[in-house]
Amino acid sequence: MRTIIFLLFAALMPGQAFAANQVALDNHVFVERVSTDAQGKQRILLEEPKVVVPGDRLVFVLNYRNAGAQPADKFVITNPLPSAVRFADAGDTRPQVSVDGGKQWGLLADLSIPMTDGTRRAAQPADVTHIRWAFQNPIPVGATGKLMFRGVVK
Amino acid sequence: MMIAPVGGAKHRLLPSCSTIALLAAFLLPTQAHAQTASPPLTRAGTTISNTASATFDTGGGSQTIDSNRVDLLVDELLDVTVESNNPTDVPTTPGATQQVLSFRVTNSGNGVENFVLSTIANAGGDNYDPVVTQIYIDADNNGSFDPATDTLYTPGSGDPLIQPETSITVFVIATTPGSVVDGNRGIVSLVAAAKTGTGDPGDSFAGQGEGGGDAVVGSTGADGQDAGAFVVSAATVTLVKSAVVTNSLGTADPIPGATITYTIVATVAGSGSVNGLAITDNIPTDTSYVPGSIRLGGSTLSDAADADAGDYNGTRINVALGAVAGGQTRTVTFQTLID
Repeated sequence: MRTIIFLLFAALMPGQAFAANQVALDNHVFVERVSTDAQGKQRILLEEPKVVVPGDRLVFVLNYRNAGAQPADKFVITNPLPSAVRFADAGDTRPQVSVDGGKQWGLLADLSIPMTDGTRRAAQPADVTHIRWAFQNPIPVGATGKLMFRGVVK
Repeated sequence: MMIAPVGGAKHRLLPSCSTIALLAAFLLPTQAHAQTASPPLTRAGTTISNTASATFDTGGGSQTIDSNRVDLLVDELLDVTVESNNPTDVPTTPGATQQVLSFRVTNSGNGVENFVLSTIANAGGDNYDPVVTQIYIDADNNGSFDPATDTLYTPGSGDPLIQPETSITVFVIATTPGSVVDGNRGIVSLVAAAKTGTGDPGDSFAGQGEGGGDAVVGSTGADGQDAGAFVVSAATVTLVKSAVVTNSLGTADPIPGATITYTIVATVAGSGSVNGLAITDNIPTDTSYVPGSIRLGGSTLSDAADADAGDYNGTRINVALGAVAGGQTRTVTFQTLID
């Protein structure tokens, strides 16, 4: 068993190490806290939490950077949704989503869920299991960008 | 607000992402909101881990890298709701003991929690204060109070442990004061409070959550209450007796040999009923009972103590009326002769 694991690591690690020098993907999760000031105005603060409670609105922010010497083509960022998080929205970042564990992808409006009686219903945000952004053009050397989506702790 | 400057600004996304996607993006938050109530809650102590990956090709074939992983611990949310199980007021009678109100206590948080129970009977808004004697927990969960089976609540050691998003039934046992009258209402509220603590939503108790996180007061304030009510359903009896004299002269003079017809009207008033109502009247001196003259309503009753309601024992007549509900009357007549 130990040998197998070692071999597995050996197979994965060189690729990762090499890639890390080329493209970096940085993941931050914030929680939206709404506070009301003395004037009664609501302010939304983004905090980087260590702990959350059900109902907290989370903002997932993904920063990418091409630190390599070559443009990165066919660039796709995929984020499987943690099972305890219900997808809410992705702002205006226009991701494709999957509602079946990453097998099929599309716009949420185009996806449907099979029902026990054989019919299908329209997919809802709560059905989303994976989110991905597929870039049409290569990421130039030195370019950076940011993607985000929101979810709610179930 | 962190509005992400999209990758598309510099690098256009695939053309499949069209106006429809934008529309969908605008609609999404509303839909998500409508579903916030959907259970189950993530159990306290769960770790939410998020990792994204990027796939790309820099000329040497497809490569995949993972982002850093972010771990978030889910804290315990302290929430509880109490609901009365009695949709309408529970009838009671003056002086009655072991009167039962039923409540449902729900742990609407995401961790297992003990709840402290208490009652409030003197909050006003009613006519009297029921005297709460005990609180029982429905041990066999059958929804009905059984003192032999159910668990008598003792504050502290007996604070019920409720699993997240589950309910228990609690019975409040009260005595109705003897001084109450028909139609009086008495309200009792059951209060349940998280043992870890209560407070304003967002208050937290460090390290006291299930699974090692904090315990955070939820939207209910970690305590809840609801009211149940008793209504007194009593009845009162009034008796009105009248006499009519007839004689052989055709006058109403009470001369020897005249017949006196007595009429006793029993009127029961109130929303309750009286049990075991009996009308007894002694035959006046210097008069003699006319055998077989007892009538209840339109029916003649025999003088013997037998199956029918009336009897005459030589000194008095008796008519056993039994249970009579409020709003009803019973009319008893009998006759005597003046000696």
